[in-house]
Amino acid sequence: MVLVGFTLQPEREYCGLLEPLLVEDADYFEVTPETTWVRDGDELFRPNGFWRLFRELGERTGKPFIAHGVGLSLGTFAEDGARLARCLEAIRMSQEAFRFLWYTDHLGATVLDGRAVTIPVPLPMTSEAAAAVRDRLGALQEIVPDVGFENSAFYYLLGKPLEEPAFFGRILERPRTHLLLDLHNLFTNAVNLGFDAEAWLERLDLTRVIEIHVSGGSASEPEWLPSRRVMRLDSHDAPVPEEVWRLLERTAPRCPNLRGVTLERMEGTVGEGDVPLLREELARVRRTVG
Amino acid sequence: MDSPEAHRRFEVWIADALVSRDPVPLFEKAREDPDLAPALKEALAAADPDGLRLTALLVAKLRFERLVRGSSNAGEWFDRDPRGFTEAFRRYHAEVVPTTSEPRAEKRLFEAWLAERGIQAAGP
Repeated sequence: MVLVGFTLQPEREYCGLLEPLLVEDADYFEVTPETTWVRDGDELFRPNGFWRLFRELGERTGKPFIAHGVGLSLGTFAEDGARLARCLEAIRMSQEAFRFLWYTDHLGATVLDGRAVTIPVPLPMTSEAAAAVRDRLGALQEIVPDVGFENSAFYYLLGKPLEEPAFFGRILERPRTHLLLDLHNLFTNAVNLGFDAEAWLERLDLTRVIEIHVSGGSASEPEWLPSRRVMRLDSHDAPVPEEVWRLLERTAPRCPNLRGVTLERMEGTVGEGDVPLLREELARVRRTVG
Repeated sequence: MDSPEAHRRFEVWIADALVSRDPVPLFEKAREDPDLAPALKEALAAADPDGLRLTALLVAKLRFERLVRGSSNAGEWFDRDPRGFTEAFRRYHAEVVPTTSEPRAEKRLFEAWLAERGIQAAGP
């Protein structure tokens, strides 16, 4: 059976408004571990209030957690290893508390040459970059046996979009390393970079997909760019678009090892009026993959 | 050179570009770096200029949000004087390397920069 999950976000209003949905409609909770840590300078990570809030929800409902991080920076080359060691230690601490079923992070780098860019930026699709990501996933596997990466939303690419699936294949050589297929990211990239999402999926090894993400997004403002071009944003602040639902309907049945589909939503974007819509979206996910 | 060392060098170019006001000229300059392998230069050439500029903008936007989350003083300054605060933030982002993803650590960096520059937030 494919489970249906929902994201927990570090915002009390979000958690309060969505409590009934989380208790009644979701099979599991997705946590971004970094949102449950406090870190000052070089000190070790320690739990914050959301760590306690999320754990309490898990204990009360008996529902499992999965992890979707953003801070491991799978493709960083230029660093001495101290940041990575601290990050892995915090993940180990989180795993002891949350018992994640699997742990994914974003493909790309969020730290470049010691600089925190904090959004995943693309990697060159070289064998060296694939090896670097494989090594990081290997280190993560020492803590959580099932690990993987998500196809990220990138606003530029360092190669041809239709070569990405082959690059993924070079990363996912080890057993129990998986792909988190984010269909909104794929849709966003297809719109912005001008390629056919179906053709991209045809090139992808769908047997490696452990989880699928669905979400919505919005558009950039014309004044953001000198060209005044409007680009689609992976902002998780709107309903799932029909194009993404169609991708889910066509793709999920072709993923034989799929274990969960997660509906993502960003904190600060949910009002009372959104809760029925999100419930319906979760129900639609369940109807689609059930 | 297509080694981990070349990739480290490549990464420094990307980092420099994405924290600059306009990343496109730095991507073009990187393509002239004799120590980058042809494959890495081709990778740079594939980047969409609008996408690069949007990414650099989002890097700055996330830092701005991180600072305002971490510092109530910064948030109040922005509420009182959005133009003045935004200009100060622009200078800060250009002059101070973003070394943290933590709001409170960002606050400390910002306050140290204000003190070093002798800048005071506009009063109410």
